[in-house]
Amino acid sequence: MSTALRIALLLCGLAPTAWATAQSDPLMDALRWFQTGELDSARRAIDHALDDPRTAGNPETWLLRGFVYKDLYKESPRPEEHTGMRDSAMVSLLRCLALDHEGVYRENAAQAYDFLARTIFNDAARALGVEQPEQARAHYRGYRAAMLRLDPNARLDERDVEFNNALGSLYNTMYIRDRTRTDLFDLAIGAFGASLELDPDNYGANYNMATLYYNRAVHAIRAVNAGDDIPTLQRIQEVSREFFQRALPFMLRAHELRPERPETLLGLENIYYSLGDEQRTDEYRRRYEAIVPLVPDR
Amino acid sequence: MLVLPVLLCAAMPYQRDPEKDTRAMLQANYLYNIAKLVEWKDAEMRNGNFVIGVLGGANLYQELIKQYSTRTIGRQPIEVRKLPRSASVDRCHILFVSREELTLLPAIYKNLDRQATMIVTEYPGALEDGAAVNFVHVDNLLKYELSIANTQKHGLVVGSTLKNLAHRVLE
Repeated sequence: MSTALRIALLLCGLAPTAWATAQSDPLMDALRWFQTGELDSARRAIDHALDDPRTAGNPETWLLRGFVYKDLYKESPRPEEHTGMRDSAMVSLLRCLALDHEGVYRENAAQAYDFLARTIFNDAARALGVEQPEQARAHYRGYRAAMLRLDPNARLDERDVEFNNALGSLYNTMYIRDRTRTDLFDLAIGAFGASLELDPDNYGANYNMATLYYNRAVHAIRAVNAGDDIPTLQRIQEVSREFFQRALPFMLRAHELRPERPETLLGLENIYYSLGDEQRTDEYRRRYEAIVPLVPDR
Repeated sequence: MLVLPVLLCAAMPYQRDPEKDTRAMLQANYLYNIAKLVEWKDAEMRNGNFVIGVLGGANLYQELIKQYSTRTIGRQPIEVRKLPRSASVDRCHILFVSREELTLLPAIYKNLDRQATMIVTEYPGALEDGAAVNFVHVDNLLKYELSIANTQKHGLVVGSTLKNLAHRVLE
């Protein structure tokens, strides 16, 4: 049993002494099993407690149920396959909070709930790591919903930006691998755009947005080959120009936000070079070289 | 002895990442297309390799090698040469002189006067100085301008397509 629960139960008069008079109390049974680490037995007992009118409406019953199911989830060999346990734990903890009018269990229940919600966020991060963006989005929606159930006024902007930036980076990685998948490019733009709606001054989102557009433009030109005649070349340039121009305000903003970063100076130098603006190309090259002096080849 | 590395640093020209040198990619394609749309009147120039000489423009040279060196102009295989920094230029069909080698141009114009070499450059006023083709940026796009007088002076016949697609034609 976790220290938090033990303390909570002790503080709230739910220690075994309080239950000693009611040996057949299913809540007491559940607590004993929980204390000895017999989680399956604790689960059966605590679920039984829900059927018992003496304990079904007690916040402590729901708190203990939340902890039992939380530990069952945590201790399962593959927790990601037992999200039902997590869901039950979270529902129980919320129920505890709803019934706990005195706020006796609030801190412990909220902490446990927050821990479980973070595991959903971690599932989203893990899905990103194995390049399953749709699964990641589903997990993230689950995390968001869970956090808002706990506190409908919770501000999740920071988390949203963190997730959207990571999602945008994944879509970009997948797009780079297969440039015919322009839907992935659009999704990456959408993800970084969502971050910027919440936080227009987010350096990473601005820089990544600029880089996405810039790379798309460069790639179109890099694909030019001997089979392309001059009119085709000019059409390709017009398309690329559009992307270079879209990249520019984001790179300028990223540079404003972190003027000391060499990558934005180089980014601006590259964009202006591709747009044929010699003056600004030279200006940003000088500024870049002032930060990153050239080192001769050895 | 400690001064030397500093001097080396200062003397090193900025080397753009070839993978991001969009201008070099576009110029290489333009040069290839221009070569296809021009006729060299000199019979000697219609035999052997079709030589594109590059003065400066390291990335353009690489791009030409990578994309076009296995191609032909008519029946002439393309040969791309990176030229040493000198105004004495061997026989070329097309000579590209980059922005960083502009100081050589007055001597090059003089040395190649009436030779069957198309001089291509990338600076304002180049046609007036003697270049046949000059790359310019217009509305953020890389285009080319053409001097008919200079092409004729070098024994080149320019087709109407090349003229029509030019940003500016100087008769």
